[in-house]
Amino acid sequence: MQPLRIALAQLAPQLGRLDANLARHHELLLEARAAGAGLIVFPELGLTGYHLQDLAAEVAMRADDPRLLALAAETVDCSAVVSFVEESTDHRQFIAAALLEDGVVRHVHRKLYLPTYGLFDERRFFAAGDALRAVSSRIGVGVGLAICEDFWHLHVPALLALDGAQVLVNVASSPGRDVAAVNAGGLGTAVSWRTLLRTYAQLTTSVVVFCNRVGVDESVSFWGGSMVLGPTGDVIVEGPLYDEALVFAEVPLGDVRRERVGLPLLRDERPELLARELGRIVAERAGLAEDGTGIPASG
Amino acid sequence: MIPATPLFELPAELAIDTGIARRVLAAFIRAQLHQAGFERAVLGLSGGIDSALVAFLVAEAIGAERLLCVLLPYRASSPASRADAESVVLRLGCPSELVEITPIVDGYFGHDAMPGAGGPAALEASALRRGNAMARARMLVLYDRSVTWRGLVVGTGNKTETLIGYTTLFGDSACAFNPIGDLYKSQVRQLAAAVGVPEAIIRKAPSADLWPGQTDEAEAGFSYPDLDRLLYWMIDKRRSDAELAAMGFEPATIDRIGRMVATSEFKRQVPTIAKLGPRTPGVDYLYPRRRPGSAPT
Repeated sequence: MQPLRIALAQLAPQLGRLDANLARHHELLLEARAAGAGLIVFPELGLTGYHLQDLAAEVAMRADDPRLLALAAETVDCSAVVSFVEESTDHRQFIAAALLEDGVVRHVHRKLYLPTYGLFDERRFFAAGDALRAVSSRIGVGVGLAICEDFWHLHVPALLALDGAQVLVNVASSPGRDVAAVNAGGLGTAVSWRTLLRTYAQLTTSVVVFCNRVGVDESVSFWGGSMVLGPTGDVIVEGPLYDEALVFAEVPLGDVRRERVGLPLLRDERPELLARELGRIVAERAGLAEDGTGIPASG
Repeated sequence: MIPATPLFELPAELAIDTGIARRVLAAFIRAQLHQAGFERAVLGLSGGIDSALVAFLVAEAIGAERLLCVLLPYRASSPASRADAESVVLRLGCPSELVEITPIVDGYFGHDAMPGAGGPAALEASALRRGNAMARARMLVLYDRSVTWRGLVVGTGNKTETLIGYTTLFGDSACAFNPIGDLYKSQVRQLAAAVGVPEAIIRKAPSADLWPGQTDEAEAGFSYPDLDRLLYWMIDKRRSDAELAAMGFEPATIDRIGRMVATSEFKRQVPTIAKLGPRTPGVDYLYPRRRPGSAPT
């Protein structure tokens, strides 16, 4: 299998300036394509900026918006993942990532988990997605898309891998915080993400692609540090902290097969067990079955 | 041989990676100016560590020639403070101005038994009222110079004083943006040492400089490293009063600082607007400060 050249467009979007960000995506997409990239990944809300608040509805696009289709049209013999505010036909706004391939919009993933705690307030402005699907891709293996917080929920990468993804793509707008000196690498957020991405690559025996934005929206600074990891958890490439960069990685997709033969975790996975136990937990939580987590009444 | 006294005391849990912090803050300062359509900045330089650190950070981010430092002494301000402020200007090579606020403040409170605009009773104004007026007079000058210099006013308040409310509303807390508002005083000292703020400024006792010999720590009865640690565990790490006491903090201090934080909540928020209409600024009309159309592009 041919190695896949992946480009991570670690850019700093301009808040609310869809046209300027679209132009920048076109430019970087062409540059990466010319450099031989087969998959070009842009960060979460790269087309709009992150801290939108009431601007969200103003920059929203339908998945068939001509501006998105024009970007898709540039994906000749390559794939790209771009992220924007998607408006559904019934006028809900989603944080979305689209897989663009061979001139068309192949798949749209709507962010499933909207952090609304601490410095985050996403649920106030956005609807949450309801579906998670791995999709077949021109790169030759299944691809799974996720957006930032989606990866702070264990079952997202697990389900994507079970559904056939061999390349897991997470696009992010992760604000850097905790500059305590005790953190290796100087930034608590970066340490958490590196640990989590490595764990997912190893446990799903998949390629993990992480593209995080840089730049500043209001009070928060986004830390970049985009990376590609192989199915053993090894870091193939890592982008700079805080600076814009177009980072390339050569990914031997054949490593996925080798790793899955040697370490057949996915083969041994038990989806029926998972479904059964989840069904039980859901029923118990809804009061439809005896709650096994309840504290027994004292005698 | 006498060992050199350490430049400052830094509780271990408060130590930051100054390299990362400098990078984040330089980009933050550039972004705040850029997003607002400005290329220059102005700040009030007191001679203390907070404004000195911010001056160094701004100069590092945009170049010293784009930073205007305004020295704003009152007649009772210490000459040593002014000398320290001048040492920062000299070190950075940035433009500076001296604006005495004495006529503004005395014009209101009066002076030498001559009543000012505030009437005869204002002659007896407390140190607190005078201190607040000085802070607001400085704000007035900075916002005026903001127009003539075509630069944004940069805030210089640190996290410690913001949390305990040791600030003047619409005075020293007034600014377009603040690079050091999430750094405790101990962390300000650490970063100041890293960026090259003159040692004399880092070493001296912090003071509001309202009267000769005044220091923050003597006035409020705490040491900054102790207060910073308490605030860090109380606010950042959400420890309960009982947990703080178990860690060795004095219950009376926990109680006192907790009350200072609670009673100054209003100073950290924008004024409340009565909700009447369909969309109300700050309630359900929520936009980022800078958005398309808010600044020349």
